[in-house]
Amino acid sequence: MKKRDDVLVGLVMLVAIIVAITGSLWLARGGLSKGYALYAKFPWSSGLKQGQPVLLAGVNVGYVDEVKLRQDGTVLTTFRVGKEYQVPQGTVATVVANGIFGDMAIALTPVRPNPRSIPENDTVPVGPSAPGLAQITGKADSIATSVNAITTAFQKDLVAAGGIDEMRRAIASTNRLVNQFSVIAAEQNRQLTATFASFRKATSGIDSAKIDSTLVNVREASANMASISEELKATSLKLDAIVAKVDSGNGTASKLLNDAGVYDDVRKLLAQLDTVLVDFKNNPRRYINLKVF
Amino acid sequence: MTGAIAGLLSKIGERGYFMRDIGRGLRDPRTYGGETIRQMRNIGVDSLPLAAIVAAFIGAVTAFQTRYQLFGGVQLSVVGLISRQSIILELGPLLTGLVLTGRVGARITAEIGTMRVTEQIDALETLAYDPVAYLVVPRLLAALIMVPILTIMANAIGVGTAYFTAVVATDVTSAAFSEGLRLAFAPFQIVYSIIKATIFGGAIAFFCSYEGYTTTAGAEGVGRSTAQAVVITSVAILVLDALTALLLAPYLQA
Repeated sequence: MKKRDDVLVGLVMLVAIIVAITGSLWLARGGLSKGYALYAKFPWSSGLKQGQPVLLAGVNVGYVDEVKLRQDGTVLTTFRVGKEYQVPQGTVATVVANGIFGDMAIALTPVRPNPRSIPENDTVPVGPSAPGLAQITGKADSIATSVNAITTAFQKDLVAAGGIDEMRRAIASTNRLVNQFSVIAAEQNRQLTATFASFRKATSGIDSAKIDSTLVNVREASANMASISEELKATSLKLDAIVAKVDSGNGTASKLLNDAGVYDDVRKLLAQLDTVLVDFKNNPRRYINLKVF
Repeated sequence: MTGAIAGLLSKIGERGYFMRDIGRGLRDPRTYGGETIRQMRNIGVDSLPLAAIVAAFIGAVTAFQTRYQLFGGVQLSVVGLISRQSIILELGPLLTGLVLTGRVGARITAEIGTMRVTEQIDALETLAYDPVAYLVVPRLLAALIMVPILTIMANAIGVGTAYFTAVVATDVTSAAFSEGLRLAFAPFQIVYSIIKATIFGGAIAFFCSYEGYTTTAGAEGVGRSTAQAVVITSVAILVLDALTALLLAPYLQA
């Protein structure tokens, strides 16, 4: 019983210690493998700490192993890169902010693709660091000086030499011009509006219903014309036939028309009628024998 | 008023004497040596399932609630970071301490209290055994060693279930959680957790042993002592937690 207690207690303690150590290692550097060491000498480490990530082109490839302030004022940083990663030559190292919690990281930025890589235990050259607050303040200071000089020049040229008055006058005349333009534009606008209104009236005057009925009538009329022309054609055909018949000399009418004898007979008849009429005028009694009683 | 202050001071003084007795008992390893292993089994190994279950649920709930507290636009890796910090720095040690107060502390008080009221402690004294060295020191040592061990396990299990819950039940990806888990990690955070757990272990063994050792008035007294021990230890753990944070939290900002 007592023996078993020893074993159990020892086992639990051992497991706990292993969990604590491997857990810490995993959290701190992402695993047990140490990778290979590289160095960088930063003028400003921005609070870089052991265990913070090393990013190669933005990919986490290792961790910061040691940050040491040297006698000459530079910060010698040892960092370890996983054996599966190669850092191409021409890469520069910078200390950058990582995330929103004020964490820092070493950023390894390859300047251009390079098949040759930086060997183990070599020093990676340091790139231009992100500007610190002091540098920004310095920049802002020089900008403020320039702005001041510009303001002074403005003051001299515009206020002292009466430039502002000229500008004011120019603005006033421009204003007038703009006013005139706007008057002209208003007039144009008014006339355009009137034109459009009359045009609209004209277009609305044409009653489409009337056009419709007119078209219907026209169509009917043309249909009637067509039927009339058909009838005319039939009539003319009949007439043609009659004329042909007359021409051919058959029948009464043709004989009447074509026989010269008939004409002579009619002339003779008319001459006789003439004589009869003359005779009648002269001697009516011969013909009209009226006896009343 | 002065009576109350005098009463408080005398209570502190009595515990001071008890502490001195424990110090004296430590000089006698032959008395507590074997018993310590047995207590480590009792306090540590047998409490492992309880501590594991508590840690598992705490981890899962922490990750899940953290995910749904975030407003839009926050990186989801924050879930990993907050889960790790909450579990390792606070919930792991504190809840392990409080749960062990119930499971282990009450047992210590009841055991020693029963021995006191049944005059077994007097018998030990009669046999020239140091009862503190035999009864209290093994429990104190076992608690000092095993509560940190349990806390390490609880931390690991808590972070594990937090990871599992975040990846399975929420939209946090495995990569995002791991990234947050590693963000701003310093090994001192584990040490901080272990320091807290050691303090809590000591508090559990000390206060519960004292209550048991000073039990009077029979079975009813044992019950009263046990209840009192659990209350005092729980409050003491919370107060010590706050004090540890006040003293050590600045060093967390590595």
